[in-house]
Amino acid sequence: MKDNVLATIQDLRIDVRVTRRIRLRIVDTASLTIQKGQLLGLIGESGSGKTMLCRALVGTLNRRGAYIESGSIDFEGIDLVKAKKKDWRNIRGHKIGYIPQSALAGPNPVMRIGAQLAEAINQSGKKPSDEVRRRALELLELVQIRRPEVVLKQYPYELSGGMKQRVMIACAIAQNPKLIVADEPTTGLDVTVQAEIMELLRSIRKEFDTSIILVSHDLQLINSVCDDIVVMHAGATIEKVPSSKVTAALHPYTHALYDSRIDLVEPRGKLRTIKGQPPSVGKWPTGCRFADRCDFVKDVCRTTDPTPFAQVNENQWSACIRHKEIYGGAK
Amino acid sequence: MSKHLIEAKNLSVTFNSYGYIVPAVKEVDFYLDKTEVVGVVGESGSGKSTFARVLAGLQFPTSGEVTFKGENIFKGGAAYPGELRKAVQMVFQDPYSSLNPRMRVINAVTEAVMHHQHASKKDATEIAHNLLQRMGISSTDARKYPSALSGGQRQRASVARALSAQPEVLLADEPTSAIDQSAQSQLLELFAELIASGLSVVLVSHDLGVIRYLCDRVYVMESGIFVESGATQDIFHKPANPYTQKLIASIPK
Repeated sequence: MKDNVLATIQDLRIDVRVTRRIRLRIVDTASLTIQKGQLLGLIGESGSGKTMLCRALVGTLNRRGAYIESGSIDFEGIDLVKAKKKDWRNIRGHKIGYIPQSALAGPNPVMRIGAQLAEAINQSGKKPSDEVRRRALELLELVQIRRPEVVLKQYPYELSGGMKQRVMIACAIAQNPKLIVADEPTTGLDVTVQAEIMELLRSIRKEFDTSIILVSHDLQLINSVCDDIVVMHAGATIEKVPSSKVTAALHPYTHALYDSRIDLVEPRGKLRTIKGQPPSVGKWPTGCRFADRCDFVKDVCRTTDPTPFAQVNENQWSACIRHKEIYGGAK
Repeated sequence: MSKHLIEAKNLSVTFNSYGYIVPAVKEVDFYLDKTEVVGVVGESGSGKSTFARVLAGLQFPTSGEVTFKGENIFKGGAAYPGELRKAVQMVFQDPYSSLNPRMRVINAVTEAVMHHQHASKKDATEIAHNLLQRMGISSTDARKYPSALSGGQRQRASVARALSAQPEVLLADEPTSAIDQSAQSQLLELFAELIASGLSVVLVSHDLGVIRYLCDRVYVMESGIFVESGATQDIFHKPANPYTQKLIASIPK
């Protein structure tokens, strides 16, 4: 079990520099592990720190003025927190691929698709051009783009949103990475295209045994695609649960998220909404950050700080200190 | 005379883009009855937004006509002449760009109330506050600028602004696609309330969950034509058209 682990994030804290003096904590105590060949779903509302966690994994936090304050990210024995710019060159793309959020703005608008793929394939700049071209065609075929020879010569504006996202996936898998971080890869795309992209990600995992972290705020989607689900709320990971056991989750927030699915209610029936807004960054309350929105809140929830993200059974973690009381212990 | 509230007959919209003739909507027929909720689904580029803009009178059709209570809305040079204009109001897709960033939310709504209900500024402010309150925006939040509100709050403010004209029909162009799941639930409940109070709604969306939740009837659009239409239940359970079948099959379970 243990040696099957690909990456471990422990108690990660990420701060943003607002001014020279003021720092804002945007991710606080995030922990997760990902196993080899696993498809892990990461879910949370906007502003819960999902994207920042992804950026920490590909080492591009500093581009947003953020940095890792404490914690560790272990990736195959390498500590990514201490990795230097030079080290990242051998990790980013080679070992960890990244699919960005906005498919429509993803590819460089003034570069042909072929040139962009070539950049991703030939990062060392030492491969002969015919080999690069052969690999580019191979990649486009892998992501199921029709007429790859034509697409190589096209610019991004000539492609549809779904095709652009496929090109971004092709770039991400160009070096056969062991981990792909897909940050909301289908936001803004249609349901039919979304289904195709998900199918593609699944086939990539099957073929290359790649681990994939899929970020989304769509629980329904995550639930249907992923093996395990990690839930984030206000900068912390609060639950890890296998997707088959999501109805037996051990954190009220996961339940609230699941219950707010609109396909569970009768048309125009009463929707079960999560009350209030997520606490905004910098104004997190002490204790459980979900306390103000929770139906089960007690005084002890507000005084225990920090709430430990504890393993409950073999593959379930919860940050709710009263889960035993509420859900009758581990099932 | 037509018995429908809004009816579109043989409606076509063609764009001329650098010499290319692009047909966006091709000879479609559509109707909306009073207190009915009708959904228009389709993928991006299928022409559903263009169609909504025509119904709202923001886009002139190339051919065909749209009638509201039997009256052609495109008479002369203007759409929805005179008092008719109030009757159909639109909520746009992007809550981040549909409110004036330099106007406090309360002022944006007050302005619309003053214009449509011919109220004095004092009365209008009160009406606006009440409207926003109904949408779940407190008077403290109402005094803020749009930038200080969340996406869901902004979208609810846009709904308040649309309702300030006391419309009979609300046109919503993908109102939930840019906001979070929990904010989406809040907005949908609001819509359900408004529908219960007698508002007719045309909902354009590619989110089938939203359509199933709110709509009585659905039109499925593919490359400018309605390929299938019918009661929501029938479409979801017995989709006849291959495109509709593909759409239904794509919903994550």
